[in-house]
Amino acid sequence: MDPRDKVLDKYSSKVYKNRKEHVITIKDGEPNVITADTRTVPGIMTNRGCCYAGAKGVVIGPLKDVLTITHGPIGCGFYSWGTRRNKAKGDESTKSFLEYCLSTDMQETDIVFGGEKKLRQALKEAVEIFDPECIAIASTCPVGLIGDDIHAIASEAEKEYGITVMAFSCEGYKGVSQSGGHHIANNGLMKKVIGTGDASPVKYSVNLLGEYNIGGDGWEVERLLKRIGYNVISIMTGDGSYATLKNAHTADLNLVQCHRSINYIAEMMKTKYGTDWMKVNFIGIDTTKKSLRDLAKYFNDPELIKRTEEVIAEEEASIAQGIAACQEKLKGKKAAIYVGGSRSHHYINLLNSLGVDTVLAGYEFAHRDDYEGREVIPTIKQDADSKNIESITVAKDESYYKERLTEEELMALRADGIPMEEYNGMWEDIMDGAVITDDYNHFETEQFIKELGIDIFFSGIKDKYVITRMGVPSRQLHSYDYSGPYAGFKGALNFANDVTMATHIPAWNMLTAPWKKTPTLNGSLGGNE
Amino acid sequence: MSKNLVNLNVNPCKMCMPMGAANAFYGIRKCMNLLHGSQGCSTYIRRHMATHYNEPVDIASSSLTEEGTVYGGEKNLKLGLENLIKVYDPEVIGVSTTCLAETIGEDVSFIIKNFYEEHPEYEHVTIIPVQSAGYGGTQFEGFMATLKAIVKNVPMEIEANQKINVITSMISPADTRYLKDLFKAFGLDIILLPDLSENLDGVHKPDYDRLPANGTGIEDIKMMAGARLTLEISNSIRSEFSPGVYLNETYGVPYQRLNLPIGLKNTDTLIKTLARIADIDVPDAIKKSRGRFLDGMVDSHKYNAEGRVVIFGEPDFVMAAVELACENGIMPVVTATGSNCPELEMRIKPLIQKVADRLFIEDYVILNDVDFETIEAEALRLDANMMLGNSDARRIEEKSGIPLIRCAFPIHDQVGGQRIRTLGYDGSLDLLDKMTNTLLRKVEGGFREALYNKYYEEGPKSKYGLETPIITKEVTPVTTNKAMTLEEKTANHPCFNCGASQKNSRMHLPIAPKCNIQCNYCVRKYDCMNESRPGVTTSVLSPEEAFAKYKLVKEKVENLTVIGIAGPGDALANFDETKKALEMIHEDDPNITFCVSTNGLMLPYHAKELADLNVSHVTVTVNAVDPAIGAKIYKFVNFMGKHYVGEAAASILLANQLAGIKMLVDLGVVVKINTVTLKGINDGHIEEVVKTMRDLGCYISNIMPLIPVKGSAFEGLEIATNHEITEIRDRCGLHLKQMYHCKQCRADAIGKLDQDQSIEFRNLTKESEAKEATEKPLRFATISKSGSLVDQHFGQATELYIYDYTKDAVAFKEKRTVKKYCDGAENCDDKEDKIANILRELEDCDGVISMRIGDGPSNRLEKKGIKVFSTYDRIEDAVKNAAQSILKVSGGI
Repeated sequence: MDPRDKVLDKYSSKVYKNRKEHVITIKDGEPNVITADTRTVPGIMTNRGCCYAGAKGVVIGPLKDVLTITHGPIGCGFYSWGTRRNKAKGDESTKSFLEYCLSTDMQETDIVFGGEKKLRQALKEAVEIFDPECIAIASTCPVGLIGDDIHAIASEAEKEYGITVMAFSCEGYKGVSQSGGHHIANNGLMKKVIGTGDASPVKYSVNLLGEYNIGGDGWEVERLLKRIGYNVISIMTGDGSYATLKNAHTADLNLVQCHRSINYIAEMMKTKYGTDWMKVNFIGIDTTKKSLRDLAKYFNDPELIKRTEEVIAEEEASIAQGIAACQEKLKGKKAAIYVGGSRSHHYINLLNSLGVDTVLAGYEFAHRDDYEGREVIPTIKQDADSKNIESITVAKDESYYKERLTEEELMALRADGIPMEEYNGMWEDIMDGAVITDDYNHFETEQFIKELGIDIFFSGIKDKYVITRMGVPSRQLHSYDYSGPYAGFKGALNFANDVTMATHIPAWNMLTAPWKKTPTLNGSLGGNE
Repeated sequence: MSKNLVNLNVNPCKMCMPMGAANAFYGIRKCMNLLHGSQGCSTYIRRHMATHYNEPVDIASSSLTEEGTVYGGEKNLKLGLENLIKVYDPEVIGVSTTCLAETIGEDVSFIIKNFYEEHPEYEHVTIIPVQSAGYGGTQFEGFMATLKAIVKNVPMEIEANQKINVITSMISPADTRYLKDLFKAFGLDIILLPDLSENLDGVHKPDYDRLPANGTGIEDIKMMAGARLTLEISNSIRSEFSPGVYLNETYGVPYQRLNLPIGLKNTDTLIKTLARIADIDVPDAIKKSRGRFLDGMVDSHKYNAEGRVVIFGEPDFVMAAVELACENGIMPVVTATGSNCPELEMRIKPLIQKVADRLFIEDYVILNDVDFETIEAEALRLDANMMLGNSDARRIEEKSGIPLIRCAFPIHDQVGGQRIRTLGYDGSLDLLDKMTNTLLRKVEGGFREALYNKYYEEGPKSKYGLETPIITKEVTPVTTNKAMTLEEKTANHPCFNCGASQKNSRMHLPIAPKCNIQCNYCVRKYDCMNESRPGVTTSVLSPEEAFAKYKLVKEKVENLTVIGIAGPGDALANFDETKKALEMIHEDDPNITFCVSTNGLMLPYHAKELADLNVSHVTVTVNAVDPAIGAKIYKFVNFMGKHYVGEAAASILLANQLAGIKMLVDLGVVVKINTVTLKGINDGHIEEVVKTMRDLGCYISNIMPLIPVKGSAFEGLEIATNHEITEIRDRCGLHLKQMYHCKQCRADAIGKLDQDQSIEFRNLTKESEAKEATEKPLRFATISKSGSLVDQHFGQATELYIYDYTKDAVAFKEKRTVKKYCDGAENCDDKEDKIANILRELEDCDGVISMRIGDGPSNRLEKKGIKVFSTYDRIEDAVKNAAQSILKVSGGI
């Protein structure tokens, strides 16, 4: 029996009915339709987070000079305090508030009588202590239920303090996962920040979208781009700032790394400012090379193209030896990746170049287009949950709109294989016969590890220890286990080293005590030591 | 600090109730926890527990969505329970509520009842509801409330047994194992609630138990009602949350509450209690363990008196750890809990006071219900040298360098949270050793810098790594193609040369709105037309606008030799603007002297560039060269994106000032030092400042009076009199040239020092039609030397500051120059003429306000119908008071 069927067979009929469309086996040449972005089954140990986590934790949180105040009881603010490893560094002209967790710490009386007064006071105190240029208010579950009007308070505060105040109604119960929160945060940045700066446009300018600088990824990518000669106007939002985001509209091109969390801004900026966007992937050696070359072709400057090749050659040479050593040890291993809404796809190519096959993959909160490609978007049915998430439309901004390339030129680029406003989803890189699980759970983790003989599992902290208990190495791809960066060429080598280390620690060979007669562990493990 | 900021929690020292619930349920055998609410709660809590314990943590969720908030969550909860049972087959399910469930008013007990009715096949599963709204309390209350819910909801067998209930608040798995062994050593048969020793610190084995296989079993919990005694090892939980109190009230089980056994006395109490209950002698192994602890206490006593510890966390932990510290002569200068435990202070104060008395320490704080912002501020203020608690204080450790001993839940940046030992003689000794070693590392680390600085080097300079005093160097001209030499420029600079102040004009460009520090005497406002003091401007200009204004001013004002950038914020905090404006002006006229004033924070980073930009003169405001004094003057410093307060802030500022000034001097830039006299704060210290600055090679020192600004922290500070300032200046003049003619200009001042023409150049871009007030204003002449205070004798007046008062508003009109009426005996011949002169200037005034006035002129003024007022005050306030007293007499306008 197919491993997928074997695992699903253990579910009750009710759960089976739900899960069978979320778990599929890839068959080459077939459409491979999957169901995604639907409600989680209650009581199943999901890895998903909530709307607040998506808005505050993922998109808004990393903006270093934005003072984010969680409006709600203490828990949510506390739990999203510095947990994502989105690194940022303040400098001379940019404050960094990332070490702070600010909360209105609502008490029972605030729930009963409303928290507006408290929020107003909190804003006043925040301005007094931190003197920020921009404040973000993120609400948690009870706020929406008791009806505090955070948007009215935000505009009041804007007038009173002469600063920008964004309000996000990102209550945890909205939508089906953190994905709704991304959308809400995208809308807010579009409405209140992007396009409010008055910087003059510069040559070869790009924004890097959907790069959250986990473990320093954004820094590594920025370094590469600058080496070649690009001007990075802003990064959304890892180590990003209100100050730079204001001028994002002056860039020529948006580079989209995490499609899921930020495609809304890319699309809206195209409509409003005429900014073209391109899907990139700076995780992996081949993919980084392709992204850099695509980028050079977009600007079509011989000098830039030449410089790109020089930088690629140099960077690649600097890691070649290290990568080769890791390939030697990793060849033929089987991996599972379960993370995020774009990240699982991003690593498939990198693993492949290390000789590792990805036999199981899935996303936590992706939509169908992240699996199957953007061409399925028109066929995705809106349901009650997705309708609850605010969607805004933008119009052409007459003063800033500028057509970068003509539609014909864009078509020509697409014909050349450059993903202009295109994304083919995970199917682009996944191998035939791989099992895909959308919004999977602990039960499926365990079952598939056994069925598929996984050698290394890339996931998050919540299932990491389940996996290692089973004798399978695990690396966290949400936070990189205090390591990183993994992006670009040098990042690829870091990753290769980390994976090699994980599969080859001596402990895996000592699981069986010397006084034990029969080994209790079957299957192949990484240990070559 | 934020102790008073009740509405904003800055870096919380607490978590929420469901976190406590999740931990407690992990101590029950074959139990799964389901959070009734949105799935984010369970995800967040799993993430935090897994990081701390380095173990798998499974918490289910009813995954409520928007629909659930409208129609109620019953459907989701029942489905969740059903799926949980099918997949995990638990014996117990703990259903804890969240903010969401409690706010929409879910009746979980009722839903569970319905669930049993619909699913009689699941009768064997014990489902325990806990009310744990996130806003209902912290994880501490959540933990105990869950234990109480467990004993309340498990059907009890009431017949008496010989067991002892042992209930603990949240302790580590390793400490839990210690307690179990301890009771075993006394031969006591206990029911431990909860027992998370195995589930959250398991052994590596090939198969993962999806369901926590260990912990307290339901069959044991059932017997708790018949136990002979409850020992509750948690002494600060409110009785409404206490399972011991509940068992006593409901089933009559006697109970005794004990502190966590941290420290000698607390552990002795527990051991004594156990020996009494078991009715046996204390086992030898335990006696030995106590002996070793005592031996350890004696070994480390000689280092511990240096200890100034911050202890924070759950009330139980804080109370017990304070005991350990106090027993060992380590002073808990800050004890804090993020929970609300009002009796904390009463319980620990006597202990701490005793240590304080012994060590002659006067100041310490006990904080209830606080955040880390407050803890940090107090730790810095009280000079703490270590912290004891969870890893959330790591940000303080990183920023302020106070070492943190991680010994409580949660620990996010190190491994081994599950193995932390703090209980019993061994655990206490472990913790004590860590504290002592932290102190030793500080004194024995490196080359013993602290000791060296304290006993060997003199003065504060050595602290910042500067070399021996630098003798004033020959000033070498800045290497540019300027027409004028540096000497000429200095000679022509009104602020650096008194003679030049009479003939040459300067212009301040208000292009620097941002500031990177907050001085307690400063409020930066952009819209005040009538005040004249540093930091004030009518509008902020872009470099381009500033250039345009410069061009215009140059045409109209004679002898414009100096362009300065003096705020309203800090020139170097707005370096791009500063740079641009200077470049444009230099291009236009290379003869213009550039002058920049700054607080010096960013000076080391820009000194070279300033010199390259042809800046020949820089004014740095240095108010103190001792961080302890600086800490009183600066509210905060924002440096490289980080926010600093207290001495840390002052130290960074000072270090950069010193380094920056040295760089400037080496580059041949002329440096002036501004110092604000703050009575009772730095007035005794200014001479020290000036000496240090002389050693660095500064050119001139300018000691200024404080201008008390409404809304600033020093609003109420007593102002040093002119006499006092002169005295300080004279004293400092022995060390460094003094500036006696400072006018404390606005950030957009134009003209000669004593003739601010900036009003004439306001609204340059717009046609400004000043509307005449319909009512005739009251006009006052004020006699002022500084231009901000009424601080001069009428007879000494050379300038009259004319102000109008209309309907509560005070507006500056103009400045009139008069010849001095009294300038000593020799020239007193045509005194009469001089008074007449002044009177002519005063004809349109309703009153004159001066510090003092002689009888003669006073009478003559009164005769003319001009009221005379004597005061020493801010001009605006003086005018207001004078106007109101006129209006009162005349019956008001």
